[in-house]
Amino acid sequence: MGTINSAFSIISGALDADQAALSIVANNVANANTPGYAQETPNWQENQPVTIGGVQYGDGVSETGATSLRDRVLEQRLDQQQQLASSSGARLTALNSVQALFPPDSGTGTSAAGDIGSDITSFFSSFASLEADPTNNSLREEVLSSATTLAGDISNAAASLNQQSSALDQEATGVTAQVNSLTTSIAQLNHQIQTTSPDADAGTLEDQRQQDLSQLSQLIGINQITTENNGLSVTTTSGQTLVSEGTSFQMNSGMVNGVTHFFVGNNDITSQLAAGGGELGGYLTVRDQDIPSAMNALDQIAYNISTQVNTQNSAGTDLSGITGTATNPLNIFAQPATVAGSAVAMSVVMTDPNQIAAAAAGAGTGDNSNATIMANLANQTIVGGQTPTDFYSNFVSTLGATVSGVQNENTAQNASVTQLQTQNDALSSVNLNDEASAMSTLQSSYQAASQVFGLLNTIMESALNLGQETTVT
Amino acid sequence: MRVDPSYVSNLVGSLDQSQAAEQQLTAELSSGVSINSLSENPVAAGENVLLLNQIQQDDSFTQSASLVTGQLQVADSTLGSVVSQLTQALSLATSANNGTMNASDVQAVSSQISGILDEVESLANTNYQGQYIFAGGQTATSPFTTNTGSSPAVTTYNGDQGVNYLSTPNGQKIQLNVPGSQIFQGSGTNSVFGALNALVADYSTGTVNTTQAVNDTEALNTALNFVSQKRVTIDNSITQVTAATDAITSDQTQLTAAQTNLMQADVAQVSTGLSLAETQQTALEDVISQLDSSSNSLFSKLQ
Repeated sequence: MGTINSAFSIISGALDADQAALSIVANNVANANTPGYAQETPNWQENQPVTIGGVQYGDGVSETGATSLRDRVLEQRLDQQQQLASSSGARLTALNSVQALFPPDSGTGTSAAGDIGSDITSFFSSFASLEADPTNNSLREEVLSSATTLAGDISNAAASLNQQSSALDQEATGVTAQVNSLTTSIAQLNHQIQTTSPDADAGTLEDQRQQDLSQLSQLIGINQITTENNGLSVTTTSGQTLVSEGTSFQMNSGMVNGVTHFFVGNNDITSQLAAGGGELGGYLTVRDQDIPSAMNALDQIAYNISTQVNTQNSAGTDLSGITGTATNPLNIFAQPATVAGSAVAMSVVMTDPNQIAAAAAGAGTGDNSNATIMANLANQTIVGGQTPTDFYSNFVSTLGATVSGVQNENTAQNASVTQLQTQNDALSSVNLNDEASAMSTLQSSYQAASQVFGLLNTIMESALNLGQETTVT
Repeated sequence: MRVDPSYVSNLVGSLDQSQAAEQQLTAELSSGVSINSLSENPVAAGENVLLLNQIQQDDSFTQSASLVTGQLQVADSTLGSVVSQLTQALSLATSANNGTMNASDVQAVSSQISGILDEVESLANTNYQGQYIFAGGQTATSPFTTNTGSSPAVTTYNGDQGVNYLSTPNGQKIQLNVPGSQIFQGSGTNSVFGALNALVADYSTGTVNTTQAVNDTEALNTALNFVSQKRVTIDNSITQVTAATDAITSDQTQLTAAQTNLMQADVAQVSTGLSLAETQQTALEDVISQLDSSSNSLFSKLQ
């Protein structure tokens, strides 16, 4: 049989539970804008009933703490998508700088500065003009000046590519420190979570760990593996362990052949990181793939034009009647030794326009047949099996297509991140309307419990005084 | 159903996007160019390089053509003068051969023909902008010199057989010069200088060996015809250069139109796009400001 005393106990328990729940709501509202905070809900639990004389009586309510609202699968998917989006975002930014070096020529008015395509045409056209009047000094000067423009623009573009590459190298190196501080923090949180909350959600600690993971996902591509006692291991996407429960493994960087490589222990994980994702993946992809491929195209153009033009000019007779020889070639461009590096080094070494060999070997100086051959190099497949202009045209198309492809990829990935973020926010972020309604509900129930307490007090008073209006109140 | 409470910030993301679109369209309008970076249209950017290459080649040919036309016209008019000089020499020789002249008249013819010889030699040594035009490839040296030590005097060709061609962007080759030896020193009886030198010698004494003089006159006639033939080569080249220039100019016009079409911003299209983006932006701004001004949580209703 229930008593007034037990009713007191039930209702004071309810007041305690309401207070605890109100403090959870207050905490939610306080953390409404805290990054990584997952909304918490109070856990209400009916107390064990009391059985007296075969009859069950309810024994009130307890508030047994808060549960964070989170979906680990959703969070992991968000992290994975974030890795892809960060990678393509970083790559896109870097590629935009690369393609800015090759602006499309509008064709209106003067040709754009640094337009290698029109430089190539101008250079070979200057030989075509020389055909008309092979001894004309101003036409000869024109050949040298267009050669200087071509060489200057190619070597400038190549030098800029090198600068962009080393800037990316530095950015990538900077990421290492951030990754290490995050993995250290995750390992520490793992240790705390495993100690304090081995079999349940660890609330705030879990929020922090998740926040670290999502920051890490912006930087590099990772896999998350849940281990026993609520622990977590983190590996790179290719399987190199970065965090194993309470232990973290530091990533180091070091120079290999002039570029920064990344190591965990003695393992070189540079190429794995490039393919993995995150900002670092984007930087490394541009540094190790996109820029070298653009550089190779410029090298090919520089090497083949320099070599072919030098060879052909040395095979003819200049205005002084001199024909080039193996030991004393009539080089217009500095002769490159290898394809690699020829773009940066491209320059004009000829200073005397009379050394341009417009005439064929042995022919009179008024002959133009060698100039014709050199002008016709523009139509020969001398660069990578294509004419110089075709090769350059293909190069800009390919570069443009790469940038545009990455752009589309990035847009799609960002949309997907937004979608997942929306789903995740719908579940985990604090909704002030919900909190207001919870607050209002709790307020009513606290008021009701207080009223019940007050009434019980009056009843108890009457019981103690056995219906007499006397001293005990 | 629970919703993402931070949807206002997503709207701001959309606002950023529509602003980026406006920025891009404004850039197109102000530059007049639809493709400002390679990634906007990679295929068109590649095609643009090829079109500009052709346009530039055409442009360069048009300039070369006007240069060579000047040189070809000088050669043509020079050969015209040569023909008229030779015609005059021919009529002098014919009148000297008919036996009606006395010795001093014949000697006068000899010195007149000698004068014509000098004139023709100087025409054969014509230069254009410092380059001897009938010297083959040896344009730096005067191609014809006469040694008067023997009788008849001997005129020698110092040039070579070099022929220059101008290539058109279509690969056509146009001959730019005829070596002097082919014009003035054709094999055997075709030699202008041989015939003139022989006639000068024939009439120099005042006594005419009629058979010899008639033969030499005949040779001069043959040489004259030969010069006229070679002149046709030069005339043909002038015609070819003119025709090629016309063809290239019309080609260039078409290519320029194609290139403009490819690269220029379509103002109507860009303006429509801009207006759409502006409408979207205004709508987004209104939505955001309404959401902001209305109390956006139930807390404002709690007492």
